Amino acid sequence: MLATILIIAFGGAIVSYILGKFSSRLRNYLSALVWITLIGLTSYSFFTTPTTNVFYPGFIGFNLTLRINLLSWLFAITISVIAALSVIFSFNYIRGRERRDFYYLMILLVNASMLGIVLSGDLLLFYIFWEIMSWSAFLLISYSKGKALAAGLKYIVMSIIGSGTMLIGITSLYGNYGTLALEELPTNLATAPPLYLLFIFILFFVAFGIKNAILPFHTWLPPAHSEAPAPFSAILSGMLIKMGTYGIILLFYVISGIKLFLGLSSGVWSFHYILCGLAAVTIVVPTFIAVLQDDAKKLLAWSTIGQAGYIMLGISFGTNLSMAGGIFHFFNHAIFKSLLFLAIGAVEYRTSTRDLNSLGGLIKKMPVAFLATLVGIGGLIGIPLTNGFFSKWLIYKSLILDKQPFLAFAALIGTWGAILYSYKLLHNIFLGQLPEKYRDIKKAPISMRLPLAILSIAVIIFGVLPGLPLNPINKITTSLGFQPLNLGIWGTVSDTGTVNTLNIFLAFVLVSGILWYVFRSGAESPKVSQENSYAAGAPIPEGKYNYTVDFYNPLERMLKPYLKDLIDSFYSWIAEAVKQISTRVRKIYTGYVGTYVMYIIALLAALILVQLGWKIW
Amino acid sequence: MVNPAFLLAVPLGLAFVIPLLKFISPKLTIFIPPLALLFNLIASALLIPEVSEEPIVVSIGGFSPPFAINLVAGPVGALLSAFIGLIGFLVAIYSLDYIREGAEEKYYSLLLLFLTGATGIVLTGDIFNLFVFFEILCISSYSLVAYLGDKSGVEASVKYLIQGTVGSSFLLLGIGLLYGQFGTLNMADIASQIQTPGSTSIFIPLVLMITGLGVEGAIFPLNAWLPDAHSSAPSSISAVLSGIAIGIGIYAIARVVFTIFGAKPVFQLLAIIGLLTVLVGELSAFSQDDIKRLLAYSSTGQMGLIVFGLGIASIEGVTGGLFQLLSHGLSKALLFLTVGYMIYRSGSTKISSLKGMSKITPIASLGFTIGAFSLVGLPPFMGFPSKLMVIRAALAKEELLFLVLVAFVLLGTVIEGSYFLRIVQVLYFTKKKSDSKGGHQPVPLSGLVPICLLIVLIVIIGIYPGLITNFLNSAASEFLNRTSYITSVMG
Repeated sequence: MLATILIIAFGGAIVSYILGKFSSRLRNYLSALVWITLIGLTSYSFFTTPTTNVFYPGFIGFNLTLRINLLSWLFAITISVIAALSVIFSFNYIRGRERRDFYYLMILLVNASMLGIVLSGDLLLFYIFWEIMSWSAFLLISYSKGKALAAGLKYIVMSIIGSGTMLIGITSLYGNYGTLALEELPTNLATAPPLYLLFIFILFFVAFGIKNAILPFHTWLPPAHSEAPAPFSAILSGMLIKMGTYGIILLFYVISGIKLFLGLSSGVWSFHYILCGLAAVTIVVPTFIAVLQDDAKKLLAWSTIGQAGYIMLGISFGTNLSMAGGIFHFFNHAIFKSLLFLAIGAVEYRTSTRDLNSLGGLIKKMPVAFLATLVGIGGLIGIPLTNGFFSKWLIYKSLILDKQPFLAFAALIGTWGAILYSYKLLHNIFLGQLPEKYRDIKKAPISMRLPLAILSIAVIIFGVLPGLPLNPINKITTSLGFQPLNLGIWGTVSDTGTVNTLNIFLAFVLVSGILWYVFRSGAESPKVSQENSYAAGAPIPEGKYNYTVDFYNPLERMLKPYLKDLIDSFYSWIAEAVKQISTRVRKIYTGYVGTYVMYIIALLAALILVQLGWKIW
Repeated sequence: MVNPAFLLAVPLGLAFVIPLLKFISPKLTIFIPPLALLFNLIASALLIPEVSEEPIVVSIGGFSPPFAINLVAGPVGALLSAFIGLIGFLVAIYSLDYIREGAEEKYYSLLLLFLTGATGIVLTGDIFNLFVFFEILCISSYSLVAYLGDKSGVEASVKYLIQGTVGSSFLLLGIGLLYGQFGTLNMADIASQIQTPGSTSIFIPLVLMITGLGVEGAIFPLNAWLPDAHSSAPSSISAVLSGIAIGIGIYAIARVVFTIFGAKPVFQLLAIIGLLTVLVGELSAFSQDDIKRLLAYSSTGQMGLIVFGLGIASIEGVTGGLFQLLSHGLSKALLFLTVGYMIYRSGSTKISSLKGMSKITPIASLGFTIGAFSLVGLPPFMGFPSKLMVIRAALAKEELLFLVLVAFVLLGTVIEGSYFLRIVQVLYFTKKKSDSKGGHQPVPLSGLVPICLLIVLIVIIGIYPGLITNFLNSAASEFLNRTSYITSVMG
């Protein structure tokens, strides 16, 4: 079953590439069909019993195993859905660009390897899929050329650093315990000395933190997300960085276990509180950087870092409420952030820009994209009746219950910032004056509107009925060793407080009905066209009137001096230093053969000296 | 079964037939090297399973060791000779259309001599013949580097010649000292007499031999000749130089240190030198803007990794080192072969001139990408299992020193990744320049076949490393198990 899923995923990528040489239409349909089939197969595997099976014995002495349980299932189904929708969205988005077969091959490969990651039953297979994901994502990020090249290189260099540390961690675990199976490692690690545990945690955390863009490992994300083609940005932001989240859950709660993770402390320094602090910083700083962005996708990219901070905070805080909130927020973020990236992609497809200073007033031209963005930012902010509300509520609640004022405050600030940049996004694209050049914009094609509609509906459904995903999440947290939550389909009843989204929904419907009735029975209001805005009596300069420029100008002037990405400059400095060193090192090779002969004699002398001095043999 | 002596006799004999055949039919000469090397490839491949139990010892002239000149085709010998045959065969096919100027028949006979020398080094059982084959290898590569006859080629060749000769003299000195002490040239015989860790009188020939062989093996700081030589040679020759010659140099060091001297602790020292080689090689390649020099520097970095693997001196480490030797050989040969046609097309070796190459030479660009991915160690390509094996073996030592060394090796990988993937971006994701000075014909079939074969091999072995790990394992145990080597040769 699991092997079949992977064979279809990888085989589909290759077959669609070959098919693309003959007919691009067939290739498109096949790529979508592959992922719709995979949605079916993964949903079906929900009803089968959790299994582990060796599918490749003896890969240079390792047994590679596949495994599925509820945790990996939740990730797998999210991957499949987002993948299918992004592929469908790509039909039109990528039309007319060059190297389309390659694009489809890579986008299918990235998703296939992500499925592989979550279905892996041992760390080596995990690592193999992880690396395939990294390089195929690198190729896709670079796909847009121009600025995308630097973004791709930044991404892959950080990614290789991460995989390097992970590889040390994996081989060290293998060297010590002789196994990499996810099922056997916990019993082995139970007796590990704390210092070794910390060593392993840090090695893996660097890898996962880089993918998950936790400060200070976030610098690859903003350029990569904004330069990638929009459907892939949706996958990047929706799922690819969540592989880091998956890895972190795996590391802290599956491989080592809740007791070891929460118990790892020395004096006042507790490992998981340090992580919580990192997560809080990751929420606050990127959120305010997002407010200052003028590129719609860059804004969303910084917002992704902030939201990843929420997920990280929920997971590393380590109570049953926060854990459920963290996992639920990952799920919600995958939905609403891919929705937002796709909506912006649709706008970019029609207007060929994503500059927030020049867009505006598209509400009537692209109504579906507008509604999708509205619903998406609802989820992002956490407005009740959208999915982000409940997951954020769980995280806040657990922070408040556990008396963590600073962390709770950070989480709240993050939401305020999110309101600011979300409104900027919505307003600068869809509201306000319609610039002259966009008068003839058509609405997005159906292959773009369909994914937007599906994802918007999902945001609402999971907002009104949060119990649907929370039930499996509750089972997951229980299996990881947490207390179960008391859940209903519409929310939670417990001593911590009750939320009933169904009541909120009914109230919402009722109030809307009353308002609608009141306004309808009132006097007819005059219709004002979109172009006929108030301008203090002065005639409007034709085509120049656009008040989306410099949206948060005072705020920007206030914040800008404090929000420099020092970490990014630091990394650039390192890269520059390596270049300098490299030029120095090359001077060893002087080009003068006399020096070279001297080197030969020097090595001979050095070897003899070492023997005389230390008697090595 | 083929007598291993034929693995030397056939290419050596044919190398001298080529100049004669030129008088009869110049067109036929180019087909001799592929045939000879195909024979070597098949014959050695058939030998591999046979020798994994018991090495085949061939005594020339009917005397028994230690008096005769003998060949020892053990697991290492058969495996490496098949490897040489494979790369040589592919390069010979590639040369059919690639080499169009100059004295072709000299090129082909030198190529065959070069590969005979390499095969001889891995099969020989006595140190003097090691020296002889070594000189055959070196001298033919000096002339092949200068084959194009341009200024940079001749200059590089002379520099290479000077350094190579210094190395060879040290090697000969070491051999002479050993002969003086033990009165024999047979490896097994000498090995059986060096049982206890050595006095200075044994250590001196050891370091002389390591240094001498190290020049060809391109360990730091003996590798100064390499960037010039590899970048000035025709790309087909760069492929064998980088894929075979330096790897054979490392093999010879391993043979001397493990089998003859049994000096495992010395190899720990070499592991540190290997690490230095990795770092210096990768750093030098990092800011390089000439594609062939970049590949050459990267070769030195990879040699460092191989030496590091061998230096771990455990069965996994040596297996990993040998695996890395093979995977580097295949990947680097692929890289040089693909780059050969790209340079031919763009008319320049500058990386900036390769912009948008994927449009002009799609298969070569794909080959370059796969070769680069494999060298960086990304799955599912061949470089991944080999690198993984080396790292696993290093950490299995459970010494802090090796943990630090591994961290530095991975730092080398990061640098390597950044410059290789930058070139992949240049190939695929930049606009091509409008004016390209080079030719416009597509890559000929003789160029595509080796490239495709190498791609397929790298992917298949990357996915099923089990195809060769068994042979690598027995090869590693041949290195580490001196006594069984001695008994099987001496009887």
